[in-house]
Amino acid sequence: MTDEQAVLRCQDGDREAFHHLVERYQDLLYRTAMLMTGSRALAEELVQGALRSAWRGIHGFQHGCPVKPWLMRYLAREGVSQRRRRPSAGVVPSSPGQPDDSDEAQHERQDMRQALAGLDADQRHILVLHYFADLTVPQLAKALDAGEDSINTRLSRALGHLRERLEAQGAQEVANNGS
Amino acid sequence: MAPNYSTDEALGDALREYFAAEAPSLRAPSNLWDSLEGRLEEPRRMPRLRRKVLAAASRYWFPTLATGGAVAAGAVLAVWATSANLGEPQVVEKFVTQEVIKEVPVETIVTREVIKQVPVETVVTKVVVKEVPVEAVRMVEVEKVVTKEVIKEVAVEKSVVRESSAAYSRAPTAAPPAPATTRPPATTFQDNRRQPVVATVDDAVSTFSLDTDRTSYQLALNWARQGYDIEPDSVRAEEWINAFNYQYAQPADAWGFAITSDVVAHPLDERKHLVRLGFQAAEVPDDRPLNVTLVLDASGSMRDGNRVDIARAAAETIRQSLRPQDRVAVVHFTSDVIHDLTVEHQAPDHSAVWNSIRSLSPRGSTNVQAGLNLGVQLADRARRERPSAYNYVILMSDGVANVDATNPFAILESAYDRNAGNPLRLITVGVGISNYNDVLLEQLAQHGNGWYRYLDDTGQAQATFSRANWLALSTPFADQTRAQVTWDPDVVKSWRIIGYENRVTSDASFAEDRKEFAELPSGAATTVFYEVELHDGVRRGEDLKLGRVELRWVVPETGQSRSQQVEVTGRSNLGFGSHEADPLLRLGGIVALAADRYSSLPRGADYGAAGVSTDLAILQEELRALAGQLGGLDAYRDFGFLLERMAERAYTQAPPRSPSGYSR
Repeated sequence: MTDEQAVLRCQDGDREAFHHLVERYQDLLYRTAMLMTGSRALAEELVQGALRSAWRGIHGFQHGCPVKPWLMRYLAREGVSQRRRRPSAGVVPSSPGQPDDSDEAQHERQDMRQALAGLDADQRHILVLHYFADLTVPQLAKALDAGEDSINTRLSRALGHLRERLEAQGAQEVANNGS
Repeated sequence: MAPNYSTDEALGDALREYFAAEAPSLRAPSNLWDSLEGRLEEPRRMPRLRRKVLAAASRYWFPTLATGGAVAAGAVLAVWATSANLGEPQVVEKFVTQEVIKEVPVETIVTREVIKQVPVETVVTKVVVKEVPVEAVRMVEVEKVVTKEVIKEVAVEKSVVRESSAAYSRAPTAAPPAPATTRPPATTFQDNRRQPVVATVDDAVSTFSLDTDRTSYQLALNWARQGYDIEPDSVRAEEWINAFNYQYAQPADAWGFAITSDVVAHPLDERKHLVRLGFQAAEVPDDRPLNVTLVLDASGSMRDGNRVDIARAAAETIRQSLRPQDRVAVVHFTSDVIHDLTVEHQAPDHSAVWNSIRSLSPRGSTNVQAGLNLGVQLADRARRERPSAYNYVILMSDGVANVDATNPFAILESAYDRNAGNPLRLITVGVGISNYNDVLLEQLAQHGNGWYRYLDDTGQAQATFSRANWLALSTPFADQTRAQVTWDPDVVKSWRIIGYENRVTSDASFAEDRKEFAELPSGAATTVFYEVELHDGVRRGEDLKLGRVELRWVVPETGQSRSQQVEVTGRSNLGFGSHEADPLLRLGGIVALAADRYSSLPRGADYGAAGVSTDLAILQEELRALAGQLGGLDAYRDFGFLLERMAERAYTQAPPRSPSGYSR
């Protein structure tokens, strides 16, 4: 069953077809949600909420459009509402490094992880949605009910903050190594 | 060497790499679908264009979007119009705001030349929905609103367009039973007389019982989603107001309430202000055991739809949420009690309990009185055996009592307990859409020391009675809770309470601990709105004192009476649309006024039906103004959807008056 066929069946009220779509995309959604929230519980809540809204909005699906960004949009919106519900939501996870990583690669990832964890949740979310989930600027604009200019501004502001954090951490390390 | 992140591209690439390396080992939990499936609600149906056009026509102007070069996630409704006097067809451009647009199927048809005014004698012949760039959307003032008859033609024309369009997603084949202009069949409501405006010189004191029910709101939302009209008599404004979380601060003392007051300009009447009082109960842990008696309606009417499944899911969820020290009994009733299935109080994991719950199946007629009588007997016995426990009788029913007593007071009179020391608390849980008796269940709970919930699917049943929710709901915090507001006659000229029609009581009763006053569980919040008019001479400013409010209640554990009072204060110069006003205060005000005005239909009280129509259109605009701050909340979107349906219904009765004429 193609995605398109599955959506058509969902629109006829076929829950099994939706199950099929969920199975196909759940890992991707969950990974995205984990990167956004850093917590299994919050990620699961996010994915569940997004999928519930997607099912409710199944008749709004425009045929001919790909399913992945359509689902990701719900995840993005759910992210916004979760942040409102839980203003203090999570930090980025520290997954164990791969064993064959070089020290330097591990080190860079650790830096990145720490810097991302220091960002505001909405900045982290938009970076994940754009650079991991591959939502384009127009897609983000649609998902977050904002203009493209505003999305571009938010993205560059988030990158700016990330850069500041990385630089500050670098300086800190240099200082520590020097002492 | 430190990597170079100096450009956005470089940093973006580094992020891509980092995310790709960080994520692949993660897998969604294997039970994701299982826990999701039960919580899926019916998909929202594509609202028919007729409704959209009605909603659009009830507005007088259409705001521009924020500027930007993007293609709007929106559409322009263009209406070809021909005037009887003008031979040439003309086009009217209307902007329909974003939330409406999301649900309108977008078809790209090129419009003809656009004009800005609708001629007096307008005949609409064709509707086109078209995607447009944001900058093309201009503010358009429409001087005459097209008439209802004309709108019908639009709907007809549109349906032809829709069927011919391959781009439009297919309509659901198993359509819910949804003629848009009906109420669900055989439902019973009561029109509560609305509270009047009171001059402070005549009476400066307002007394009412607190309330935490929200069923009226849930019922309305459920009907609207199924395509039914919202029955004005079913709207109890206080239950709509209390369906929202206003995020009040927690009380400083674990034994008391946090009482807050806010004042903001009235959005519908420039002479008035809205006053909001919020009562937030403390959250208390409670380890006292519970005796729970489930009284399950097994009558034939429960066969409709999936009500038995919902009741069974709710009962089973409650069973699972109980702790080892709790005890549960089960009673099934139809025309009489089904003795084979009766289980007296047992530990929640006893096999007889879940067997009995599992065996719930519909048959016969409905004798709520018989079921409650036995439930109360069992509960009373359990109470005498364990005086330290709290006692809940939970009635799950569609409320269609048709044997013996069918009047709530007669049922209570015969079945209900009068022991004030450690009362039995009656929780009523309503299921079902049509053939549903709201009055019976609401009144039983109100006069039975309990509360009332409505469940529309098994997922909601599971969520409502999940362990965390259940623990809070089943821990009584305050019994017989009532409030009394005393307005300062030098400041407040007149006042009117919004909603609370069947909870307002005489001022003298405030001093008495009465059973019909509200029982509040741990952590509960209650909100009340007043419309007040201040005296002309009152100084406008920051720290206005309007009076005081006193709260009295009985502590369930000890039976002691308590009281707490604060001054009602606020700013008289805070505009309703002001960014300084708390968005949740504004949302609450919109909810309160919309419910209040709508519940006055079909007559429309002093406002008239057209006045109600006008008010709802203004409230829709006020709600849209909150989209930036609250648009991400499900509660906001749900209410937006409801308000739209209410405005349509009001419109079909009487179109709004001119936009400048506030209702008086």
